[in-house]
Amino acid sequence: MLVAIDIGGTFTDLMAFDEATGRFAQAKSLSTPTQLVKGIIDCLRMSGVDLAEIAELIHGSTTAINTLIERKGAKTGLIVTRGTRDVYSIGRGNRPESYNLFFHRHRPLVPRHLTREIDERMLASGEVLEPLGRASLEEACRHLAEEKVEAVAVCFLHSYVNPEHERAAGEIVRRALPGAYVSLSHEILREYREFERTSTTVVNAYIGPKVAGYMRSLKASLAEIGFRGELAIMQSNGGVMTPEVATERPVAMMESGPVGGIIASAQTGRALGFANVISFDMGGTTAKASLIREGEPAMAPGYYVGGYASGHPVMVPVIDLVEVGAGGGSIAWIDEIGALKVGPQSAGADPGPICYRGGGTEPTITDANLVLGRLDPDDFLGGQMALDAESAARGILEKIANPLRVSTAAAAQAIVNIAVAKMSLAVREVSVAKGYDPRDFALVASGGAGPLHVTAIARELHIPKVIVPLYPAHFSALGMLAADERHDFIRTFYADLDGADFRQLERTVEEMAAQSTLANRKGAARRIHLDLRYVGQEFTLSVPVTQKQIEAQDRRAIRGAFDRLYERRYAHHSPEEPVEIVNIRLAAIGKRASLALPRLSAKRRARAHRRMKVHLDDPARPVSCPVYRREELGAGARISGPALVREHGTTTVLFRGDACSVARTGELLISVRGAA
Amino acid sequence: MSTKLDPVTLEVIRNALPAIANEMAADLQRTSYNMMIYEVRDFCTALVSVDGELISQNVGGVSHFVADLGVIITDAVKRYGRKGFRPGDVVITNHQAVAGQHLNNVVIYVPYFFKGELLAFAMVRAHWIDVGGTSTGFGAGPEVPDPWQEGLQLDQLKIHDGGRLDQTLHRVIRDNIRFPESSLGDMNSQIASCKLGIRRLDELVRKYGRDTLLRAIARIFDETETQCRKIIARLADGVYDAESFFDDDGVTPDERVRIHARVTVKSGSMTIDLSGCSPERKAAVNSRTLAGARVAYKAITAPLAPVNEGSFRALEVIIPEGNIMMARYPAPMAGWSIFVPTVVETIISSLAQAMPDRIPAAHHGLLGGSVVFFGVHPKSKRRFVVQSIEGGGWGGRPFEDGESATVSVCQGDVRNGSIEGIEMKCPVLVKARALRRDSAGAGKFRGGLGIDMQVRNFVDGKWNFERANRRGCPAWGLWGGGPGESGGYYLRAPGESEYRMMHGSHKPVSANSEVVVRTGGGGGWGEPLERDPERVRFDVLEELISQEAARDLYGVVLNEDLSVDQAASRDLRRKLGRAA
Repeated sequence: MLVAIDIGGTFTDLMAFDEATGRFAQAKSLSTPTQLVKGIIDCLRMSGVDLAEIAELIHGSTTAINTLIERKGAKTGLIVTRGTRDVYSIGRGNRPESYNLFFHRHRPLVPRHLTREIDERMLASGEVLEPLGRASLEEACRHLAEEKVEAVAVCFLHSYVNPEHERAAGEIVRRALPGAYVSLSHEILREYREFERTSTTVVNAYIGPKVAGYMRSLKASLAEIGFRGELAIMQSNGGVMTPEVATERPVAMMESGPVGGIIASAQTGRALGFANVISFDMGGTTAKASLIREGEPAMAPGYYVGGYASGHPVMVPVIDLVEVGAGGGSIAWIDEIGALKVGPQSAGADPGPICYRGGGTEPTITDANLVLGRLDPDDFLGGQMALDAESAARGILEKIANPLRVSTAAAAQAIVNIAVAKMSLAVREVSVAKGYDPRDFALVASGGAGPLHVTAIARELHIPKVIVPLYPAHFSALGMLAADERHDFIRTFYADLDGADFRQLERTVEEMAAQSTLANRKGAARRIHLDLRYVGQEFTLSVPVTQKQIEAQDRRAIRGAFDRLYERRYAHHSPEEPVEIVNIRLAAIGKRASLALPRLSAKRRARAHRRMKVHLDDPARPVSCPVYRREELGAGARISGPALVREHGTTTVLFRGDACSVARTGELLISVRGAA
Repeated sequence: MSTKLDPVTLEVIRNALPAIANEMAADLQRTSYNMMIYEVRDFCTALVSVDGELISQNVGGVSHFVADLGVIITDAVKRYGRKGFRPGDVVITNHQAVAGQHLNNVVIYVPYFFKGELLAFAMVRAHWIDVGGTSTGFGAGPEVPDPWQEGLQLDQLKIHDGGRLDQTLHRVIRDNIRFPESSLGDMNSQIASCKLGIRRLDELVRKYGRDTLLRAIARIFDETETQCRKIIARLADGVYDAESFFDDDGVTPDERVRIHARVTVKSGSMTIDLSGCSPERKAAVNSRTLAGARVAYKAITAPLAPVNEGSFRALEVIIPEGNIMMARYPAPMAGWSIFVPTVVETIISSLAQAMPDRIPAAHHGLLGGSVVFFGVHPKSKRRFVVQSIEGGGWGGRPFEDGESATVSVCQGDVRNGSIEGIEMKCPVLVKARALRRDSAGAGKFRGGLGIDMQVRNFVDGKWNFERANRRGCPAWGLWGGGPGESGGYYLRAPGESEYRMMHGSHKPVSANSEVVVRTGGGGGWGEPLERDPERVRFDVLEELISQEAARDLYGVVLNEDLSVDQAASRDLRRKLGRAA
């Protein structure tokens, strides 16, 4: 038995899969932000899963990211090379909000008086210019000990090429501050660019003590209730790691939440023969889009926690996604000049949309869908929650329709259309920004609100194929069940491609692999990328290379792959320009066998269980729409729009001309009218 | 007229138009081959109507390109006539009589036709790494006497005519610039970006129809104007003045250059009058631009909203011909942007009376802080150039301190070079990049700090030293706040014990010299004696200000353990208050 538990902002989600029977089980409980571990245990109990039967429990948690965002981390000190005390606060000196006089830079997690410079200096070549000055280091340690710091980050210039000084300093710091959590920059991120490396290391140290405590308490609580299996922690890169690794590198689990759905999208696409898909996940507060090519989610080398303009750079590999403030709970409003806006403010779970009867007074996207008849007030979450359609309609009438002088239905339609346009821009951004045409991809919809809007988005972008997977409302936890074990390593290796010592390159790859037991495990895969660029450029492209190409020193093949990728991304390339290597990236991956999904029995006839009046394209004229229950659909069933397909946590909307067929494993495959 | 426009269409078009400009920008940035574009973001992309109205412009990047392309279209339509364009045309221009900036900023534009009707232009202005003459790199300095010495001048020429490349013009350009692969590569990127822009615009027109789109655009302009008017209407009507100056123009010594702004606010409208600025100069610090006024106006009205023609409809800008900001061709403009941040700042400061809770004290005000050292790498024998732009202090703000070490008001997402990246590529050692204690102006909310970037060069090479031209008029304070310290460039040759102040480009410097690039601090906001003593204490603990400054400027006396001596501080503040 495999179990995944995903803690989200509102709900803690559990999915269990029994490989023997091919059965899924699920549970949902309200998240308990102050007692996360208790929430997990509650959810496990609720699911009725036999704890002794669980072979592996995969867990994604918000504890790392929340510690940073709420600034509730440890009192942290920072030790740096002389002359670089202010590198961390100066950052890159940029101002992305270019007209804003009231801009804010990132707010450092370590104050200047807890940042100590010591005597030592490496050169970019790795040669020692000035040896490690023990006296200055010991003095720094004394100061930090007096200040009672709980964590220490050490970041020396050029430690990515020669970490000797950092290593030696680490030993001294650990002796001098035995209780402190210590992070050395070369162990967290072995890449050049001192500000980004320092920030990443500081974040790791800052959240380290809290995450370590969480891991200890989680393991103890699980053992107490009889769990004997393996615990695995979800990472931002889409893989899992052991709790021990998570304790050392908590910075790697910051974005573990949204990645589950992306892995699941990749897996669903692969299983159905669509290697290229865009994952579209629309929940309560935001919508997220992510690109998957040839079965692999696009990765970013890092991101900025709190946004690019004023956030903290965290440069560890993370699945690349674009997020917009449009979710079921996003509020529709009229601005001061009378224009209709949707989001980014959200009613969230509390008070929630008007129709939830939780005291919400502002009309949301969910209220609009209810008014349009796309949601059924008596059949929401399987009828667990009766929606208040009348209040939703009144809210839209008073707040939107009256000021705009249109009908309630027209106002509701307007809200949905604006949200669709906004989300379409996000989907376009993840694809065209990388040089890909969204029309060459299938769109996989998940989240409670994803299937409601996905066909409209696909039509807007001329995407011909939409997939609504199994369990779209529990997709993130489902994806975690399929996550591989994965460790990413990066090493700056600066050399001309033509002149590079490939023996040394090979040795470096082996050194990197030796850092993880996983890389040398039988059956584990290694993926190597070289970050390459034309000499003189700043930005690099990660080019996949094989171990064989490195052993054979096949510079031409590597060069060719770089030129082709460059051409794809930037629409031109320069075969005459010299190319240089900047970084080596190694991913060690312990592949998990894909989940063997049970097959549905074939049943070609689909029968609607009722008909409803639904507004689809024309707010003045609702159309009579058959409503199907998803669990009643058999493999091979075909449905043509207009139609609705209802299931526990969501509804799929088919417009006139959209054609849906049910795959053997139960996914809805939709051909979108007018998109091909 | 616009009542029939449905709100969804309007909103979708409102979001789609800036998205087109942003997509053009992303496309250009990805395909360009020039750090000025992909790192300094020295470009803009826009859709402009046939009447020269700005339909939309990209967000981010260099702010002084705000809404500055319309004049080029007005001029082009006057010269070619509305019937003078056809599909497949691509026009290139950088001519200062109209474009008004240094020649490196090359504009490319492409007309958009719908059913044979000329509807708009997609445009890209971008900084080429070279346009011949003395333009290499960041562009030439104030000493270039005229545009012919600066570089190649291109005056509204069709590089593609009806889809056919003008081979002769292409050769003339190629033969007269130093890095033709780079610059002509950038030109192709600009053309591709424009074509993407008209493709996206065409999709919108086909989806919503010509009339609807034009009505929506007109409505968006109106609404943007209304929003700006509403903000200005909150200000008390009146006439507001401010003044600043440069020590000199970089060519004529000891002659101050006056910058002056007179801002008139009248029931929601604003007039910015720069007539009091210096007349055009012999030094190449002139320009023809409304950027100073527009950047300031944008910053105080809707800084985070996208820009369109409506953003400036409620603003009138008065700059007489022959003014330094409205120079007549062929006044030299190679260093066109040097004075612009100070002009912006002067306008903003003039409004301190009108909107006391919305105006910060002055920032370091310099575009530069640029670190430029070049030579030949002894190992690879390749030419190298260290290029980094260092930020300085921003002014204190009505509710908080200014930010430290940040680029100027005319620059946006411009990033400094990482020390490790610089040392990896170039034979230099960066000994420090450090905040400079006491460089910020004192105030209830103090300014941000400037920095010292200390660099040792391992090999012989050449440095570019910018002129420190605001020493007499450093970043000023507001409401009793003190000025920030100004910056400068300092050199210590091997064997010397003292640093000397330097200026001038391409200065040979011998191996193992040390240079300090110093940026200024920001001005303080409000009386320093009103600063919370706890904040003063913390600044001393953080070594951002000295104990002496705490005592002399802030009237805060600290005990041995750095706690505030309350009684002594109260007495001292009373005494300092009386003296003032």
